[in-house]
Amino acid sequence: MPEVADIERALEPTWCPGCGNHMMWKALKEVLEESGMGFEDYAMVWGIGCHGNGADFYRSQGFHGLHGRALPLATGIALSNPDMKVIVNMGDGDGYGIGGNHFIHSVRRNIDMVAIYHNNQIYGLTTGQASPTSDQFMQTPSTPGGVVEEPVNPVGVAIAQGATFVARGFAGDVEHLKSLYRQALDHHGFALVDVYQPCVTWNKVNTFKWFRDRVYKLEELDGYDPTNRTAAFEASMSTFHELTCAPDECKVPIGVFYCEEETFTYQDGLPQLDRPMWKHAQAPRDIRSILADFE
Amino acid sequence: MPLPSKGSELRIKIGGAAGLGIKAAGQTLARSFVAAGLEVFDLSEYPSLIRGGHNTYTLRVSQRPISSHVETVDVLIALDRETVDAHLDEVIQGGAVIFDPAVTSTDGWLPSRRVRPVPVPLAKFAKEAGGPIMANTVALGAALALVHFPLMFLVDSLREQFAHKKPEITEQNVAAASVGYAYVTKLAGDFWMGVEPLPGQPKRLLLDGNEAIGLGALAAGIGFYAAYPMTPASSILHFMAAHERAAGVVVKHTEDEIAAINMVIGASFTGTRAMCATAGGGFALMVEAFGMAGVSESAVVVGVLTRPGPATGLPTWTEQSDLRYVIHASQGEFPRVVLAPGDHTDAFELTWKAFNLADQLQTPVIILGDSYLSDNRQSVPPFDVDAVTVDRGKLVTSGDVADHPEALGEDGDYLRYKVTADGVSLRVLPGVKGATQLANSYEHDEYGYGQLGENAEVRIAQNEKRMRKLELARTLVPAPATFGVDPAEADVAVVFFGTTKGPVLEAMRWLEPDGVKVAAMQVVTVWPFPADEVRTFLGDAKRSIIVEGNFTGQLRGLVREQCLVDVDDELHRYDGRPFSPEMIYAKLTEVARNA
Repeated sequence: MPEVADIERALEPTWCPGCGNHMMWKALKEVLEESGMGFEDYAMVWGIGCHGNGADFYRSQGFHGLHGRALPLATGIALSNPDMKVIVNMGDGDGYGIGGNHFIHSVRRNIDMVAIYHNNQIYGLTTGQASPTSDQFMQTPSTPGGVVEEPVNPVGVAIAQGATFVARGFAGDVEHLKSLYRQALDHHGFALVDVYQPCVTWNKVNTFKWFRDRVYKLEELDGYDPTNRTAAFEASMSTFHELTCAPDECKVPIGVFYCEEETFTYQDGLPQLDRPMWKHAQAPRDIRSILADFE
Repeated sequence: MPLPSKGSELRIKIGGAAGLGIKAAGQTLARSFVAAGLEVFDLSEYPSLIRGGHNTYTLRVSQRPISSHVETVDVLIALDRETVDAHLDEVIQGGAVIFDPAVTSTDGWLPSRRVRPVPVPLAKFAKEAGGPIMANTVALGAALALVHFPLMFLVDSLREQFAHKKPEITEQNVAAASVGYAYVTKLAGDFWMGVEPLPGQPKRLLLDGNEAIGLGALAAGIGFYAAYPMTPASSILHFMAAHERAAGVVVKHTEDEIAAINMVIGASFTGTRAMCATAGGGFALMVEAFGMAGVSESAVVVGVLTRPGPATGLPTWTEQSDLRYVIHASQGEFPRVVLAPGDHTDAFELTWKAFNLADQLQTPVIILGDSYLSDNRQSVPPFDVDAVTVDRGKLVTSGDVADHPEALGEDGDYLRYKVTADGVSLRVLPGVKGATQLANSYEHDEYGYGQLGENAEVRIAQNEKRMRKLELARTLVPAPATFGVDPAEADVAVVFFGTTKGPVLEAMRWLEPDGVKVAAMQVVTVWPFPADEVRTFLGDAKRSIIVEGNFTGQLRGLVREQCLVDVDDELHRYDGRPFSPEMIYAKLTEVARNA
């Protein structure tokens, strides 16, 4: 089975020193190694953004798609080859902004795949504009007077939309993130892992320190029940807070917000998806009985 | 232009408000005539509404092969007054109008010296038979009696139409048709027009162009179809969905067209034969991903069934104004193939061939049609399913990448985008041992990695590799089809693409007895453009014309650009209606006279 050294490409990552993507890369490689999956067993899909440059740093079967369109691209893979686990990497602008429509519909489909969002609350690759998850009133080159609107609450939206697995990680805690990745890979259904991975170059508000001062783990919270959708939704409301809030005024929960076992996935609704669908194109299909309908 | 001779040809038009089941009634009638051994061609015209607005269904029936609708009508079934007002002029001298005097007033059009009124109490008979909705069924019976056609074919057709409904519904409709038939049999007497069954004819198919496309895709081994509904492409989605479980196809109605084509590219990545289809507006949303299919060398088939634009345009009408658009769509440059079926048989054949071309070239292939192809039903000879082949090109589906050293880099890793002489790289499917690979929307190196794609030499090598596939495409794509006499012998040579084929072929049949010799060329593969064939054809012609359904002369522009020659004349149409053979007959006659 491939080890971390096999999964790494010869190319060195080009992310900024200290970027949260380095830790996410490390966590995912290590979880892939321990998963026991072979290279043939999974495919990775990337959107466009700083996270997407990661496509070059893995040895994997994969597709580096368009900005915002990683989920439908991944869906096409998942719904045409039942033998392949699909792991999707997206950014916050990529996955919640331009790809927001696909986000909502992928959640409600409960497609069996893992969706990892590299959420740095800023547009890194295009030099620092506000993203859909930037805090309200944050000043950026595209919002010099401050972001007017409230941020997207991806965890809350997913929970409201019927998601079956919703977790949030923090790139500053690799071991915790790995546990989330493990659970997401094991989940039968659409597993959403939103990861705060601070941008050290453009986001001067939501820094590693900002998060370290505020994160707490849901699983360490007394009596938190990740099968309670209402409680999970309430926990997601921490998204909305003052830009300048003090550490004790805005706590950031991480961990598994919600998890539902025994889910009915989109693939479960497709009895015809009983083999890799390319096998239908080894010879012409016999359509004589269908043609008879038109005689 | 020939008039229908007694017993051999008939044109019936049914008109009324949307929601009255006009199209369904017309199709029932069409099935009756096909069962009787006759050829049919129908044309539905309807506004983009579910109820309200004026709908018509026109059926042409003939004992001889026919390839289009015509402008004139022999029997008009007017379910409302608006039908009389809008279509009375189309009825030929001596034709008939079936109407219900209780519904359609006779003020202003009767008495008539031109048409024969056939008043039938349609609403009353329908109510007596079971319900007012059956007025159109009563009218079908009345029409068949008028033209001396046996009722039994309609009865069989009604039983087929209502097979999945309660038995009493079927029997009510049969009763409604019978009462209309009996009533008019008494009135019809020696009405001069009619069409007679042709027993002993070989079986034909009765279907529309979208069904032909769907059948072609199924025959080709499609495993994944995704679409967002858009007129006139939607019924391909319905067709595929109806067969998904039995045939083994994953069919997805997506959240938008962007998702549809991205899913199709994802399915193609796993080696699945995959297709999406839409109209011009939906294709606008697909264009970015269409380019990704080009740079990632994904084998996908995209149906673009066009209608008059721009924007929402005329949703339920037809036009050929997206030719340049589909040839040029996307930023950047990459090879693509665009096939333009002219009729239902073309649609079936070009669709299964499109899948082979996509695999052989590892690039997107477009099937360019329009509403006139999608919507209209025609009787055609059974499709040649024995001719269907599956050629997946340079594809490896199993084994080990190590067995293909020619596709490996110095480090032993697989080169998905290996630079080759013909531009096509060995495609080893994900899942095959050792086939780690990155398909990429970025420019990339031979492995597929984007970082080195910015190297100028890598960019040039990959760009040139891809564009070499366009030269390979020229050797693989269907050649232009020619009809009629040799261009050197012709009084007029006509060039066209797509569904203009039917009306052109029909007009050519009419010109034959006039002694006008016509040579015709259908540009079947519109991209890569068959410049040599078109230039040779036009070079031999004395007088030439291009007929195309758009304002700006897009095909003519391509001929000038690609062949460095021009034609003498042109005929355009851009009012949302298909070309009629009458229009083309008149124009070709004029051009030939001026020769």
